[in-house]
Amino acid sequence: MSKGLVEVENLKKYYPVTAGLLSRHVADVKAVDGVSFYIMEGETLGLVGESGCGKSSLGRTLLRLEEPTAGRVLYKGSDITRWDKRQLKELRKEAQMIFQDPQSSLDPRMTIGDSIGEALLIHSIGSEKDRLERVEELLKRVGLEPEHAMRYPHELSGGQKQRVGIARALAVTPKLIVADEPVSALDVSVQAQILNLIMDLQRELELAYLFIAHDLAVIGQVSDRIAVMYLGQIIELADRTELFSHPLHPYTEALLSAIPLPDPHQKRERILLQGEVPSPVNPPPGCRFHTRCPRVMKLCRQELPTLKLLEGNHLVSCHLYG
Amino acid sequence: MKKISSKVGGLKNLMFIGALLVLGLILLLDIYLVDKILAPLEYFYLFFAILVIFYGLYPLYVNRRLTKYYWERTKRHRLAVFGLSFIAFLIAVAIIGPFLTQDPTKVNFEEKNLPPLGFSIQQSVYDLKTGEFVTRETPGTWKHLLGTDDKGRDMLAMLVSGARVSLQVGLLATFIAILIGTIMGVLSAYLGGWADMGLMRFTDIMMTFPFFLLLVFIIFIFGPSLAFIILAIGLTGWTGTARLVRSEALSLRTREFIMASKSLGASDARIIFRHLIPNVLSSIIVIATLSIPAVILAEAALSFIGLGDPTVTSWGVVLHAGQRTLDIAWWVAVEPGIMLFLTVLAFNFLGDGIRDAFDPRSQL
Repeated sequence: MSKGLVEVENLKKYYPVTAGLLSRHVADVKAVDGVSFYIMEGETLGLVGESGCGKSSLGRTLLRLEEPTAGRVLYKGSDITRWDKRQLKELRKEAQMIFQDPQSSLDPRMTIGDSIGEALLIHSIGSEKDRLERVEELLKRVGLEPEHAMRYPHELSGGQKQRVGIARALAVTPKLIVADEPVSALDVSVQAQILNLIMDLQRELELAYLFIAHDLAVIGQVSDRIAVMYLGQIIELADRTELFSHPLHPYTEALLSAIPLPDPHQKRERILLQGEVPSPVNPPPGCRFHTRCPRVMKLCRQELPTLKLLEGNHLVSCHLYG
Repeated sequence: MKKISSKVGGLKNLMFIGALLVLGLILLLDIYLVDKILAPLEYFYLFFAILVIFYGLYPLYVNRRLTKYYWERTKRHRLAVFGLSFIAFLIAVAIIGPFLTQDPTKVNFEEKNLPPLGFSIQQSVYDLKTGEFVTRETPGTWKHLLGTDDKGRDMLAMLVSGARVSLQVGLLATFIAILIGTIMGVLSAYLGGWADMGLMRFTDIMMTFPFFLLLVFIIFIFGPSLAFIILAIGLTGWTGTARLVRSEALSLRTREFIMASKSLGASDARIIFRHLIPNVLSSIIVIATLSIPAVILAEAALSFIGLGDPTVTSWGVVLHAGQRTLDIAWWVAVEPGIMLFLTVLAFNFLGDGIRDAFDPRSQL
């Protein structure tokens, strides 16, 4: 059964921890630890979680910018974790990435035009003249002027640079874009513009997004479905409206209660989580969240819950349900 | 305009390869058909010049706006501008000077120990008529503006010839060192793991290698020739560059634009040559400008202790000769000393200025 453009099955990414003169392998940082989900064509899957939970590692592993430790990533039904170099180059035309920090995601020694045109050059798309036209077209598409092609990154503002980053990702006409915190480094006013651009482009070009962010308000604005990640695992995944109206997992509840409300008179119970996120090198046994969970039970300390499908296409990984 | 700048990739490399082929052809002709078209060192020099034109000046011209930006920033550093103008002057002197001055090796005992123009000293001279030594006032002359040494050689000519030697040694040895250091550093950082470990341990060994011992061996085996001195300094002096380039490249490797390039499908070679090296280039230029004076001083020191090439008139050689006559002819030692001092200072000022200009954090 084909579920969509991308299917991720039990994906794991461990970073080895080494020690000593001979770089002995002593432990693993379990950044992504058994994650499964799918993304449909033209859909946005929001991925939310606090910093260090493995969101970015997941995004990079998904595109094989980093080699997965285990698991499968099916792109249009074919397992890309087994693809060779030549096939991967083809994947780069289909799946692209937008980065978090516009300051460092553009080569400071390249003009904007060269940066955007690089993808076309790498894949030898079009002639010299075609490429230049394409770069100008892309610049216009993301709301910049063709003249910007001659500029250097230090001559642009943060928002403009992020637009360039988006234009670069679009150059190869991808089907899937992994947006790794694309607006978290920008001012709030600029954030809205970039989010609108990202959503406009989706409608126009039928793009599928994996939209990574730590800000639920941002995620809520762009996503069709939302996955909540905690310590390398997805603990809840549901449609946007479903997740916001009926959060099931105690962690999601806590996250949602932290969104500031525009109405100062409205009272709401704030759930304050105690303690720190445990280390991904040595995650707690049983449910990963039990050390901080306000509704912890005996079972949580012993058994790792699995993602269970509940009513309304709502997946949750918690012993309280199912 | 856009057309030209984006075409450069292929055209520039083509022209570069063409220029190298022509040089190789001349070399072959030199070896098999005609005797001595150019001296061995001159091939070295031409190769260096071709490289600088294609990968130094041409990109600067193509990216005029970036060049202008860095020039604006360098310009705010007054001493750097002084350094640059002095170096430009020195290069001009080194290239055209020897054609205008007298022969620096021409010995004339009748005009020995003449002071620079405007000075005069008392010295005992052998009088041909009476056959006796007489003490006579000897003033500086227009013919020898900077005076002569104890063999009557023209100081100005020797200093001009020394400028050529010093620049040759400084530029070429630094170039060799920087080239090796950059390759080692970038490879080490990019490959990582065991390759990194191996290359860096090799660098450590080279760092502790006694440079003078190597030089003494080379001079013992091949004889004191400027080309070998340049090679020896170049082949041992790359370690600092390798370490610095490695640390720069390591920090660059984690920057998002490298990841972005990878996600666009760029090959390792493309990432190294188009992204890593251009971005460490500013640090490399800074190390180069700071290492040139050190190399010039090293050559002068070698000549001073008698390990230099005796067939060339370098500043070190003149300094060494002047040391013996310091009591009667101070200028023979002082003049090359001043030149060395100014040259080293100029390169250091320029290096400082460029470093500040290339550092985006410094608010000039």
